[in-house]
Amino acid sequence: MSVIVVLIGASLIVAAGFLSAFIWAVKSGQYDDRYTPSVRILFDNKEENK
Amino acid sequence: MIKELTHEQKQQFGVPSMEQFSYDNLIVKNFAIATMVWAVVGMLVGVIIAIQLYLPALNLNFQYITYGRIRPLHTNGVIFAFVGNAIFMGIYYSLQRVCKARMFSDLLSKIHFWGWQLIIVCAAVMLPAGLTTSKEYAELEWPVDILIALVWVIFAINMFGTIAKRREKHMYVAVWFYIATVVTVAVLHIVNSIELPVSFLKSYSVYAGVQDALVQWWYGHNAVAFFLTTPYLGMMYYFLPKAANRPVYSYKLSIIHFWALIFIYIWAGPHHLLYTALPDWAQSLGTVFSIMLIAPSWGGMINGLLTLRGAWDKVKEDPVLKFMVVAVTAYGMATFEGPMLSLKNVNAIAHYTDWIVSHVHVGALGWNGFLTFGMLYWLIPRLFNTSLYSKKLANLHFWIGTLGIIFYVTAMYWAGIAQSLMWKQFTAEGILQYPNFLTTTQEIIPMYVIRSIGGAMFLTGVIIMIYNLYKTAKLGSFMANEAAEAPAIFIEKKKGSGEKIHRFLEKKPMKFAILATIVVLIGGLIEIIPTFIIKSNVPTISSVHPYTPLELQGRDIYIREGCNTCHSQMIRPFRSETERYGEYSKAGEFVYDHPFLWGSKRTGPDLQREGNKYPNVWHYLHMQDPRSISPGSIMPAYPWLEKQDIDIAGTEAKINTLRKLGVPYPFGFENTANDSLQRQADKIAADLQKNGAAVESNKEIVALIAYLQRLGTDIQVTKSAVK
Amino acid sequence: MPEFSTKTEIKCYHCGEPCRNHDITIEDKVFCCNGCKLVYEILEENKLCKYYSLDEKPGISQSERKINTSGFAYLDDEQIQKQLLDFTDGKISSISFFIPQMHCSSCIWLLENMYKLNPAIFYSQVNFPEKKLSVRFKENEISLRKIVELLASIGYEPQISLNEVEDKVKSNVNKRLYYRIGVAGFCFGNIMLLSFPEYLSFDDSISFFYKNFFGLLNILLSIPVILYCSSDYFKSAYTGIKQKTINIDFPISLGLAVLFIRSVIEILTNSGPGFFDSLSGLVFFLLAGKVFQSKTYDALNFERNYKSYFPLSVTIKKSGEEQCIPVSKLKVGDRIIIRNNELIPGDAILFNGTANIDYSFVTGESIPVGKVAGEIIYAGGRQTGSAIELEVIRTVSQSYLTQLWNNETFVKRDEDKFKSLVNVVGKYFTIVIILVAALAFVYWYPTSIKAAINAFTAVLIIACPCGIALTSPFALGNAMRILGRNKFYVKNTSVVERMSKIDTIVFDKTGTITKSGDSNVNFSGGLLTSFEQRIIKSLARNSTHPLSIKICDAIKENELFETNSFIEHIGKGIGGKIGYYDIRLGSRSFVLAKEMEDEIDIVDMLNSKVYLSINNKLRGYFVINNIYREGFEEAVNSLKHEYDLSVLSGDNEGEKENLLRFFDDESQLLFKQKPEDKLQYIKKLQGKGKKVMMLGDGLNDAGGLKQSDVGIAISEDVSSFSPACDAILDASMFSNLVKFIQFSISTKRIIITSFIISVIYNILGVTLAFQNTFSPLAAAILMPISSITVVLFTVSFTNLSAKRRGL
Repeated sequence: MSVIVVLIGASLIVAAGFLSAFIWAVKSGQYDDRYTPSVRILFDNKEENK
Repeated sequence: MIKELTHEQKQQFGVPSMEQFSYDNLIVKNFAIATMVWAVVGMLVGVIIAIQLYLPALNLNFQYITYGRIRPLHTNGVIFAFVGNAIFMGIYYSLQRVCKARMFSDLLSKIHFWGWQLIIVCAAVMLPAGLTTSKEYAELEWPVDILIALVWVIFAINMFGTIAKRREKHMYVAVWFYIATVVTVAVLHIVNSIELPVSFLKSYSVYAGVQDALVQWWYGHNAVAFFLTTPYLGMMYYFLPKAANRPVYSYKLSIIHFWALIFIYIWAGPHHLLYTALPDWAQSLGTVFSIMLIAPSWGGMINGLLTLRGAWDKVKEDPVLKFMVVAVTAYGMATFEGPMLSLKNVNAIAHYTDWIVSHVHVGALGWNGFLTFGMLYWLIPRLFNTSLYSKKLANLHFWIGTLGIIFYVTAMYWAGIAQSLMWKQFTAEGILQYPNFLTTTQEIIPMYVIRSIGGAMFLTGVIIMIYNLYKTAKLGSFMANEAAEAPAIFIEKKKGSGEKIHRFLEKKPMKFAILATIVVLIGGLIEIIPTFIIKSNVPTISSVHPYTPLELQGRDIYIREGCNTCHSQMIRPFRSETERYGEYSKAGEFVYDHPFLWGSKRTGPDLQREGNKYPNVWHYLHMQDPRSISPGSIMPAYPWLEKQDIDIAGTEAKINTLRKLGVPYPFGFENTANDSLQRQADKIAADLQKNGAAVESNKEIVALIAYLQRLGTDIQVTKSAVK
Repeated sequence: MPEFSTKTEIKCYHCGEPCRNHDITIEDKVFCCNGCKLVYEILEENKLCKYYSLDEKPGISQSERKINTSGFAYLDDEQIQKQLLDFTDGKISSISFFIPQMHCSSCIWLLENMYKLNPAIFYSQVNFPEKKLSVRFKENEISLRKIVELLASIGYEPQISLNEVEDKVKSNVNKRLYYRIGVAGFCFGNIMLLSFPEYLSFDDSISFFYKNFFGLLNILLSIPVILYCSSDYFKSAYTGIKQKTINIDFPISLGLAVLFIRSVIEILTNSGPGFFDSLSGLVFFLLAGKVFQSKTYDALNFERNYKSYFPLSVTIKKSGEEQCIPVSKLKVGDRIIIRNNELIPGDAILFNGTANIDYSFVTGESIPVGKVAGEIIYAGGRQTGSAIELEVIRTVSQSYLTQLWNNETFVKRDEDKFKSLVNVVGKYFTIVIILVAALAFVYWYPTSIKAAINAFTAVLIIACPCGIALTSPFALGNAMRILGRNKFYVKNTSVVERMSKIDTIVFDKTGTITKSGDSNVNFSGGLLTSFEQRIIKSLARNSTHPLSIKICDAIKENELFETNSFIEHIGKGIGGKIGYYDIRLGSRSFVLAKEMEDEIDIVDMLNSKVYLSINNKLRGYFVINNIYREGFEEAVNSLKHEYDLSVLSGDNEGEKENLLRFFDDESQLLFKQKPEDKLQYIKKLQGKGKKVMMLGDGLNDAGGLKQSDVGIAISEDVSSFSPACDAILDASMFSNLVKFIQFSISTKRIIITSFIISVIYNILGVTLAFQNTFSPLAAAILMPISSITVVLFTVSFTNLSAKRRGL
């Protein structure tokens, strides 16, 4: 059972990592626009010959 | 191929401008081919083992294709070879495009590709050879584990490198799912694979018994989460909108979906161990978090399906969308069923039965399989700059595949529930109605037949797809480097960015407090962890002793043959089980089990209390030809056990290794271990001789019998002692 | 009048509008106007025609675009550039534009491919919800002006105004909320994980270690929750106390503080497991409520003031040359040129040209006033017609309009005048709870001091009014979303709450209850022949006077004639020769070309009668009536029983008769109201204790909208300018006004019901706490259940209530 400490530790570290990723994402403006990126991925760079 | 500008060149130009670059399509093509090749291999092995379950003679008495050895080959083949390559295919294609950048390094891409194929080939050789750690979905031995870790790190570097040099500031939600995959799988793999090598191809898990089980299912469940789910969700968020040519229904929801999933998934693992020797509270924890998972999972599914809102006419037309719709629906079903299965009363019925097999295949065939097919049908024509060779064949694939899933899944639900009910059926007098396990097996054999047909249909569909895509490729011409252009990323330097850290700390005491807390938290854990790994806190039952050298050798043969794929060693505290198998399992019984062998499926009966149940000669004859002892048995025969010698050269290393892991073999015992082994073997051989089975004492069958006769007897000793 | 018969309708290849003529074509593609054709040509030339395949008919119709004659020359001014640019290092500059025209994925694609039109623009990115385009460009290769001109040429002319320039600082309030909820979510999840074992029984002795270990981890994890995530509640409670009021945040803070302290003590003294899961869960839910409440409409601006309407630049004439300068540099004595549709930036004397000034911004009067040379024209008027030359006598900062809007009453907004229901409830709630807690303490004191403290803290913990605090955000936030779905955009949730208390409704007339563009043109004096119609239209189209335009629009004939010797007499009428016919349109005296008594003349004009004479023979007159918005009559009929209604109009009394069809009482109708009058009128009503809702559309209503309890701006196009207000109502949804008000009332009822539900939960909890039978498990179950009930109740009932009203 003591291994649960290891697992909780590993999970906490991973989760804390994701928490900082979340804070970074909000801070750096990743989520300022919550619509346009979903449209942007639909555009391909190629095909100019239409 | 258009070369990208170096940093110096960029400096020369002074100001950024549109950058010309190209996407690496070659690596995508390679992974696509690998996906298809391994799909056929993995699924073919699946069909073979499915048939072996009602036609045990199909292994031709050839040890390398016996069920116990190639069942892990099937799971590894499908999960790591087929799905793994499909993940890399999807990630390498979409990551480059959403980041508007070529992969960080072509060399790393290549190493990643060939490294991964090497791992798969190793698995394909080692697993039939019986080189296995026996931990489900982590069967590969330590050298391959290290190789996996290395290749994964290379993949991670390549991915983060690409993200770092991206030309699109916003990271599309798919990228977040990929990041979660890469980071978490690495942690899971490393934590679960901590093992101590005995020899080049043999190791023992550092964790024992209950602990090993906990780590294993923490890994096992999260492998499902972060290998089979998150990367596929990321790909769904890219390929589904692309194929439908409309943005995802709600991008906001996809962001919430991601973060909620990430923060909850990690803890759902213990639901695999309900009713086991794990403490109650740990089991319930798994249940609670599993139930909570429904919300984010369904958020994702609904988001996927609603993306097609108003475009269902397109779905009718386009096979790509058809595959994806079924995939997303299957995801929804599987993620609803999962939490249901983690409810204790449902789990009591479903665990150890084919219900779980069904549940897994809804995910594997439906979600992973169909999404992969949808991606392939969409990708290959684009890679080859042409359109799909035959829509009709794709539709045929769709229908034959869907039908295959339905055959498979319904047969397995039926089999699972029917068998489980029979196991639990008591007569009015209060005795088991089907005391003979075999009766319940034979009842569901027709279902096994249907299952193999369903599987074969699914495989046929895949072959049709490969033909179709091959023809498509022939039609077009492959473009290894796809030209693209995008503005260079340009960072605006805001005034006074210096002294940032200092001001940050000074101005934001709250944030500093949080950071400090996290640091303390991590630091504290790092300090505590080592003391725990070494010193086990599990209460030992005084009558539980380490295995004798012969039993240990027998146990390793049990592992090699994959007996645990069909036989559990974990009796749950139900009357139906204690009646059938004996006293329920206690946590303390497994303290010397490196690794644990609880198993997850009862194709055959539980073996936890097998010791002293039958005479030695029964086991001998049963191994020779199971059907001679139990007519109608579906267990394969193991005639080679009688011919092969016990590997006594390894005994000393095994004892030493286990001692290092905390098994209390006295010092110096390793030197006399083989003597003790010989004495015990001679005794069993003599007993067999006496009962008409002439076998030499150095044969593997003797060791295996010794192990089987030991199983679960430690507690019996106490009981008789008390009496 | 005979209808113009339409052939099979052909739609413009660019914008999808029906084409009136079919002769503007390129190959097989038909365009509605030359503007659309031009845009197509630009895109075609640059191989950007994918634009048309991404979305259906993505273009913006160019036929009604106001041509900006003065161009964008002012953008060459360095000072203006400095104000507009986000960043520049001399080589590279970046700027953000507000482009309300963007509406589909094709727009995004085209605007993000600007570099194909001009490679000097090397980066362009759209933020669609905010209708914002960020552009980075090489300064020495393309000027800001060129960029704007390029955008305008493809139909995406950005809106540039001083207001945006001054208001560059973006608030980070939302981001801070997200950090908090992220941290709270993380801690909540982990604390829950570590707390569950406690509820599921640690039975054996070895578990003792885990108990401690988990407890300590919980303390660590809850520190950020209490110090960081919930700091706003403490701050708010503290400010409340400083102002000697008790708001709802006070009992929340009290509950949180007690929860935390008692839990820490329990863990450290090993006397219990603490309530960390309840604590973190509570904070998480409360923050989630805040996020739900903080719905914003990014593309809408509720805060525009008069400066938004002001031009950034003005053309001045200096030593015979025309020059563009920023308005701020305008000096007394400068000669300025004002063209059609341009705003007069400062009080000035008319020097040259025929001025026809539309003062609707200032007075609300929609019919332009004629001015002759030498007269003073006040700032804020809009010239209609040909260009005029003026001499500035007062500059922007001191001119009449600025003075007017700088009036304190226009600026000041007493945000606290409205006490939200939740804070009223919170006050009494707090008092009761503290009394109960004290009572519990006294009751248990004889037993033991420990029991007394336990009971005291337990009461404070369980009474933490999370249910009450969550009700308003979820009910109002959801109501706000529902209203938004019905094109009624509310600035924030408190507006919904205020709407429910309204007892008086004041309408602006022009543009609010009447449509600004459409009107009903009737001719009295017998039927006009088709030929007559054609010559009338031929004459009228020469004038930009609104009445001329209305007459023009009403005649559907399309074969027109050349007009000779066209004359326009400001304030009187127009005339000209078409072939043998001498036609005049205008006031009675004008068309008959003879002096009449002035009074009659004026009255005729007031009634919006336009007389027609052909060859000096009076033929009859056009009556031009306003068209009322669809549903206006129904709205008034259903509102007038419960609400005091009135109409304020900047116009003359011409519409009085028509309005009396809807209203019973003349006293409800006020005409010739200047913006300040409107404001005073509302003030007066409020002085009588009325809660006033005002609906208006233009800048002339802005003062009233601000002063009223709920100011609603009506807009035909919600993303274009509307005056400062609390809510923006899409004009097409006017008929739903009654439903919106009723819905807000029912939302309020739902909130009250929900308060009662959570108080019941609290009574239940407090009873347990009082008896000292309150366990962490009970807290962990009761608190989330009460929160979740409240959330589910409010959200589903507001949905239901909206559905019942067909919203």
